[in-house]
Amino acid sequence: MDSQEEIIRVINLVKTYGDFTAVKGVEFQVHKGEVFGLLGPNGAGKTTTLEMLVGLRKPDQGTAIVGGFDITKELKKVKEVIGVQLQSTSLFELLTVEEILHLYASFYPKQVSIPSLIEEMLLAEKRKSRIKSLSGGQKQRLAIALALVHDPWIIFLDEPTTGLDPQARRTLWDIILQLKKQGKTIVLTTHYMDEAHVLCDRIAIMNQGELIALDTPSQLVKNLQSDSAVEFRFQNESSEVELHEIEGVTKVGNQKDVFVLYTDDLQLTLTSLIHMASDKQLKLTDLQTRTATLEDVFLHMTGRRLREG
Amino acid sequence: MRAYWQLTLSQLRIFLRNRQVLFWTLAFPLFLMVILGSFLGNGNGISLTIGVVDQDQSFQSKEFLTTLIENKALTVQIEKSENKALNKLKKDDLQLVVVIPKGYGASLSRPPAKNAPYLLPVYFNETNIAVTQVGLQVVNNLVDGISKEKLDYHPVVVMDMKGVETLNLKYIDFLIPGIVAMMIMSNNMNGVAGQIAAWRERGILRRMQGTTLKASTFIAAQITARLVLNGMQALIVLGVGHLIFGVEVRGSWFTLISFVILGILAFMAIGFIIAGIAKTPESAAPIAGFLSFPMLFLGGVFFPIKNMPEFLQPIIQILPIAHLSHALRETMNVGASFMSLGTEALILGGWLVGAFIIASFTFKWE
Repeated sequence: MDSQEEIIRVINLVKTYGDFTAVKGVEFQVHKGEVFGLLGPNGAGKTTTLEMLVGLRKPDQGTAIVGGFDITKELKKVKEVIGVQLQSTSLFELLTVEEILHLYASFYPKQVSIPSLIEEMLLAEKRKSRIKSLSGGQKQRLAIALALVHDPWIIFLDEPTTGLDPQARRTLWDIILQLKKQGKTIVLTTHYMDEAHVLCDRIAIMNQGELIALDTPSQLVKNLQSDSAVEFRFQNESSEVELHEIEGVTKVGNQKDVFVLYTDDLQLTLTSLIHMASDKQLKLTDLQTRTATLEDVFLHMTGRRLREG
Repeated sequence: MRAYWQLTLSQLRIFLRNRQVLFWTLAFPLFLMVILGSFLGNGNGISLTIGVVDQDQSFQSKEFLTTLIENKALTVQIEKSENKALNKLKKDDLQLVVVIPKGYGASLSRPPAKNAPYLLPVYFNETNIAVTQVGLQVVNNLVDGISKEKLDYHPVVVMDMKGVETLNLKYIDFLIPGIVAMMIMSNNMNGVAGQIAAWRERGILRRMQGTTLKASTFIAAQITARLVLNGMQALIVLGVGHLIFGVEVRGSWFTLISFVILGILAFMAIGFIIAGIAKTPESAAPIAGFLSFPMLFLGGVFFPIKNMPEFLQPIIQILPIAHLSHALRETMNVGASFMSLGTEALILGGWLVGAFIIASFTFKWE
């Protein structure tokens, strides 16, 4: 972050599938040594973007320079300097942890010490176990270990913690932060806001194939210009209320029948809300207040929650 | 190069650890061989049981009976009543019935007259012509011998019998090369198609595409590992065939192994095409089955190709399995040399090259 040396430059990347444009001219830069998050709901185009950067899909337009190499012209060189963990990859179930690491290491000209890699990824006990017998968290750590066998500069992680239990997620977070300490650049996609907040130095928010925001997590929240959120529902459905007129409200969001008011003055907004509710004889339920988060940034920018349903 | 060895090694480990697949891909051909070999393998002789009803009970009739019994080609069963004997004939318990009527001896003792020869009734089953023909021939010879003896006949010309040792081929000799061909076809065509399609669906191939691994290295390693595995399986089947049924390899092992390798490569290439066409692993199996099932029955695995209907012959003549099974059979049974099997080698080679070209266009990592 200090040096701000650029390691990835994405230039007007476009990918279309028939009539559908999955990625619509995305541009951004990633700095050396940072953890860069690509955020967005399912179908936002983050996985497609990532897959173009690692050479699994050919861009229809634009290109990217990864580690100094053009992904459309020098893909083999790009692959030597990047490590990839794909969403829900399965591996050869009948091989052991050690065997598959040796196998993947053999694909590259350069490799790290496999015993110490196993140690770092907390897989020492499972060294000789078959992949079939690993838990979800262990499999995900193995997938990351496979991305590291050739000592890459940049590591791409596609939804590394999806489907893991909270404990396994935290273990993985520690590993990612550890990698950052070693000086690796990490690009990850996620739809967990808390994860992005903990891990990422900068976050790019994608929606429907476009990049709609790029900043540090705290700056993104700050840009919301409201530090608190009030959430509630009306017991009897009545949406003919002008919530914007409530005092102190900067923005109004809603998701199905849940309303969210963003405000800089929590007390003023709350009193005003309750006053209005009793005036109009509306009953409030599930009322809660909290600090605004990245989730709110997202909801505000896209009108959608990150994980719907 | 390191990637090639590691991938080959990994693939062999996967084969060896997948016990169930390993067991059943070997058990099926062995099972077929033992079952078909035991039931059909020894059916190479005709057994003739002949019923004799001696109504004459004279010296001459006894003499006739003794001659019959002495003939090793026949099993003689003495019957008391003509009716019972004929019933047995109808049930195919007896293949021929000879009735020696009363007055046979007396008739022979009389000096040879100008009158007609004595008529000896021989009954046979018209529905079982092949056996009957042989039986009638044998009886005819005996009767002829008796007539000549009675006439004090001196032959002018006799045959000088010189047996030539022919290949004593049984059905099992035909079957085992066929089973080896079948195993090569199903393990490679169905095996490759299923495995590659499954790996693609599960994203295993995609993950490898994300590395600097080249597709050619991956395919070369696949081929090497399968050659090793299928070569061993073919050897096991041949070994069992040799130990249990005494089937031999008359030709050179070099020729046999060359054709085994050629067959494996050709069917593997076809498997890669199927893997490319199949959208899911579930559809790979039926596509492979659609191709392998007719080949099993038409391609000379279980039945000789010449027994197939005429209109199918042109189709059969281009099937790779037909040439593989024929080449293996010629090598094992007759001892044909590689050079004399040039046509088979060329056609299999043609399939191999053609299929690999198509496969390289249809192959997809994802």
